[in-house]
Amino acid sequence: MIRLENVSKMYGSEIPAVRDASFDIAKGDFVFLVGPSGSGKSTLLRLINRQERPERGNVWVAGRNINEMASSQVPYLRRTMGNVFQDYKLLPNKTVFENVAFALEVIGKPKHVIGHQVPQVLELVGLSGKEDRFPHQLSGGEQQRVSVARAFVNRPLILLADEPTGNLDPATGEGIMQLLEAINRTGTTVVMATHDHRVVNAMRRRVIQLDRGVIVRDQERGVYE
Amino acid sequence: MIQRLSYAIRETIASFRRNVTLSVAAVITSAVSLLLVGTTFLIQRAFDNLLVQWRGDVGMIVFVRPDVAPDALTLIEQNLKSQPNVIDVDKVEYLDKTASYEEAKRVFAGDPTTLSLLSVETIPSQFKVVPKTTDPELVRSLADQYRTLPGVAGVSLAEDEFDVISTLSGFVRTVTIGMSLVLLAVAVILIWNTIRTAIFARRREIEVMKLVGATDWFIRVPFILEGLIQGLVGAVVSCGGLWALNSAWTSGVAGFKPGTGVSSLVVPGSYVNGVMIVLLIIGAVAGGVGSGVASSKFLDV
Repeated sequence: MIRLENVSKMYGSEIPAVRDASFDIAKGDFVFLVGPSGSGKSTLLRLINRQERPERGNVWVAGRNINEMASSQVPYLRRTMGNVFQDYKLLPNKTVFENVAFALEVIGKPKHVIGHQVPQVLELVGLSGKEDRFPHQLSGGEQQRVSVARAFVNRPLILLADEPTGNLDPATGEGIMQLLEAINRTGTTVVMATHDHRVVNAMRRRVIQLDRGVIVRDQERGVYE
Repeated sequence: MIQRLSYAIRETIASFRRNVTLSVAAVITSAVSLLLVGTTFLIQRAFDNLLVQWRGDVGMIVFVRPDVAPDALTLIEQNLKSQPNVIDVDKVEYLDKTASYEEAKRVFAGDPTTLSLLSVETIPSQFKVVPKTTDPELVRSLADQYRTLPGVAGVSLAEDEFDVISTLSGFVRTVTIGMSLVLLAVAVILIWNTIRTAIFARRREIEVMKLVGATDWFIRVPFILEGLIQGLVGAVVSCGGLWALNSAWTSGVAGFKPGTGVSSLVVPGSYVNGVMIVLLIIGAVAGGVGSGVASSKFLDV
């Protein structure tokens, strides 16, 4: 599903954010990218959704080399992925329903599809009954659930999560992880960058560890260390 | 498709509301600059009315009595053509009564009293003469000579009627075109800046849109529409101003004594309508281009 071949990404001219990274993630996998801040986890995610392009190497998503993809095709690539962030990135002037619906609206989905899919996904993330709240009226955990709902409402092949539990207390974070697991069970490939030991150790999934831009460990059913 | 259109329109209106002061500034600037552009057109046209008689280097006009005998007319023509050193004989042009009347309609556009005294039957026909020589004295003495010919109603010289106006018209044109170009540039920059502010205000939204896979055009269209509407609204306002200005001028000129040159400086309504359409197009294009450039420049997330 996702494949990196000797990928290097520089910021500026000297410091490599990612150096010679290669890995293969199969469809339906759940993978943690771990490592300290600045080790290149976020950059790897940004390379996969083509917010960044590497200086060297190739990134393949669903059988397509996305570095050679025309810019006009990138929106269609992104429709096959959902993104979840540490700071949720919700739109403050829109309600829960509108925030999730927005993701479908801007890719031109008709109204009846939106009216059908949004309540469904809100139920999945446990936010039924809170459709009309605004983000500032929700707890951090609930806001993150909205963000997950928005990422998943279009049934993406891949879900990219960047420190989704970073701003949450352990119990709330656990709830989000259960949600991501549930999404993973539907066949969606999940790639999650984190430095949350508890989460990684509790799940025992594949772990790719980075240190200063270099992959130092790639282990099935790994722990954080 | 309809859904996308309604989305774009909704976003455009919302953005307009968010940036009321900047939008109003952009609209006013484009209105003022377009008004100046329009005024330039009208002034030019008004001067053209005055100068229409003298178009094409005509230096002397010999007016012929409407009741002239055919052989007197031939005599005048022969006289003109017998001066190949002073007159460009190939360019001597005879305007018969019908053609002269058509021309008079423009010359006396703002002077209906005078125009009503004229008709195809009573109007003098005319020879338009392009002098070869640059010596004004030679042309003048020739004019004096023609005045004595039978059938000639009068002779006008460009030097007397035309040169001052021609210089004035050139000067006014340069100034007004220069000013309107500067103001138009200011309008485009203001629209550009309004769009940049609008994009900045919505940068979080745009980031989310990009991440969920909205196409660039989908994101861009509301902004381009916003700029285009600002330009267009400015143009509509300027059209109103132009219409008011022209009406005031036309009724003001009507107060002048008939027969003075000022009465030619009136522009017919059909021409004003044409200018308005041009202003609307310029406004829409300037707004669309300004916002289009701004949106492709600042939407790069």
